[in-house]
Parts: sequence; structure tokens; C-alpha cells
Amino acid sequence: MSTDRVTLIVPAHSEFARTVRMTAAELASRLGMSYDEVDDVRLAAEEAFVYVCECVEPSSDIRFAFTVGDGMLGIDVGPLETSGGPRGDAPAETYAEFILRSICDEFSIEREAGRCTLHLVRRAGARAGDDGA
Amino acid sequence: MSGRQERRLVWDKARTRELFYHLREYDDEESRDELIAMYLNLVKYLASRFRNRGEPIDDLVQVGTIGLIKAIDRFDVSRDVEFTTYATPTIIGELKRYFRDKGWAVKVPRRLQELSFRVNQSVDYLTQQMQRSPTIQEIAGHLGVTPEEVLEAFETSEAYNFVSLESDRGNEGGDSFSILEYIGKDDQLMGVIDDRTTLASAVRFLSPQEQRVLYLRFFQGLTQTEIANQLGISQMQVSRLLRKTLRSLREHIVMEEA
Repeated sequence: MSTDRVTLIVPAHSEFARTVRMTAAELASRLGMSYDEVDDVRLAAEEAFVYVCECVEPSSDIRFAFTVGDGMLGIDVGPLETSGGPRGDAPAETYAEFILRSICDEFSIEREAGRCTLHLVRRAGARAGDDGA
Repeated sequence: MSGRQERRLVWDKARTRELFYHLREYDDEESRDELIAMYLNLVKYLASRFRNRGEPIDDLVQVGTIGLIKAIDRFDVSRDVEFTTYATPTIIGELKRYFRDKGWAVKVPRRLQELSFRVNQSVDYLTQQMQRSPTIQEIAGHLGVTPEEVLEAFETSEAYNFVSLESDRGNEGGDSFSILEYIGKDDQLMGVIDDRTTLASAVRFLSPQEQRVLYLRFFQGLTQTEIANQLGISQMQVSRLLRKTLRSLREHIVMEEA
């Protein structure tokens, strides 16, 4: 299966959480993920969205870049200005990272040139979080 | 209720039995639809008992209809009980939950309400049959709908989260589970939560069942299906419970930060 990319740009308002969840769920479903896995993807997309919404100005847009590969869904959220982006020390951030690490097969925050991007991966048939939180 | 109204609330018992027979024997959707249409006036009557509470009657009928559908799907035809006797408390229960929980935020078309309920049942059925979590395509195939409709039904179930959460609470019983006690017994897990003191304090606000689900999913790494089996609840209930638990945690953490 070739790798496809889908980009979604949504305003940083909570009412767009549904749009993010639905897009993520639809792409996960295309990969033949199970109900459990699709729900984890929905949860991860929502957590990432809420997490990022708290870090940016309310008037900002948030960019979701979905990578649909062979049994794998990647979600890159950002880039965000690091002045407002996650710093990794506030409790809400620690919490969000804990949840995202638990339900994704990969989770990282890449920081580069004053900007940062959340990187999430979920694979079909894998048991997320096995590598520990 | 006036005598005239009472006289109208009469149903054809023989036809009801016949429809239930077809529904159970042949999984006949038309019989199910006819039963829903047939007992809709029971829903309307029961909904009218709550009409002075400031909610539009159409919304109440919509809520009551969910109770009716549940009653139709759960009614045991072999028991010597009239369907109305069985359905009435289910419908009233649904209406009471509506008023108890203001989680009801979205008006959802009846078609989607029904589909959401069927998807929920289908997930449980297929999980049992296949001994694994079904894919969206498998659920869609089982119900004869599109995968997009199944996903839409998942979203719809969010609007109705109170339906299961109320029953979840009922199932708690004497549960005194404390995630912090469990974590305290496990050095490795203690290491995980040590750096998360805010998380640890936010966890204290959760109910025992919420703590148990959180522990099983995020600390033990069990899947929703495994948690559902362990707790004796449906997969979708686990999903809703997890979502509610995470929202609650997030709120407490944000409050502490403020």
C-alpha cells in the first residue's frame, strides 16, 4: 500500500474536536483497524487537539498532517510556535504526554528552529504503550 | 390522564407477540420498526408526564424512544410479562436520566440514535463471536450500513454518554478501588506516577470505577475489549467511561494549574 497524506487545518476551538476525531477515525478505519484501535486513534487525536489548543492563541489554526501507510497512521500536529507551544513541564502537558504515550505506538515532540510538532503513530494490530509510558 | 386517553393506550397483544416472534426468529427489521411505531404512543404518553420541566416535548419523545428501542431489543418473549409492563420503567428511566444529567448537548436524529444503539450491540456480539475487537468494516457489514455510518454512530454515542454512565455508576456497588493504592504496591508504576504528582492528586477526584478503568487501560495497557470482559460491561461503555474519565482528569489538572 502506498503512503497517502491528508492535511486538515482547523481553528483552535473546542467545537472542532469532532472534526479532528472523525477525520482520524475515518483514516484509521480505512486501514482496517479494529474498533478498539479506531477508538484509541479518536482519543489520541482529541487529546492532541485539546493539548495544543491550550498552548496556542485562540485565534490560531492548528494543522493536522495524517500519514496513511501500510497498517500505520501517523499524525503530526503543528508546527507550533514554541513560545506558546508545549514546554514539557506544566502538569497539563505531563498529563497529555502520559495519555498520548499510553495510547500511541510512538509519541514524540520535535523541536526545531523555534517551532515544535507533536508526532503520533498508531499501528494496526499493535498493542500501544507496550514500550512503557 | 383522562379516560379517553387511557382508552387510546391499548395495543394489539397478538400482533405484538407475532412481531416479536419474527424479530427474534428472523432478525426481521421490519417487525422491529413496526413495534417501535406501534408503541410510540406509550412513549408520547410517558414523555408528557415530564412536559412541565422546561424541555420541548419533541426532545422528550426522542429520549423516550431510546428507552423503547432498548426495551424492544432486550424484552424476553418467553417470560410471562406484557411488553408494556417491561417497557414502561425502561422508558421512564431513560427520561429521568435525561433530566439528571445535562450531558445531553446535541439533538440527534432518531435514525442515528437507533443506529448508535445497534452499533453498540453489534460490537458486543461480534467481539463475542470473533473473540477479538471487530473492524469498522465488519460492524458495517453485520448491520448492512456503510463504515461512515458506523463512525457517525460512534460520534452520536458521545451525545448519549449519560445513558451508559448512569448504569456504570449503578454497577459500582461496593467497589472501593483506589488507583493510588494499586500503584503504591508496584515500584515500577510508582516511578511512573512519581513525576506526576498533579496527576496523582487529580486521580483522587475520580470514582472507583473510573480509577479502575484508568488503571487497567493506561497503567496495565489492557485493550478496551479486555477491560470490558474484566468489568462485565460493554466495549462502548468502556470507551465512554475512558473519555469521561480523561475529561474529568483534564479539568482537575487545569483547575490546579490556574
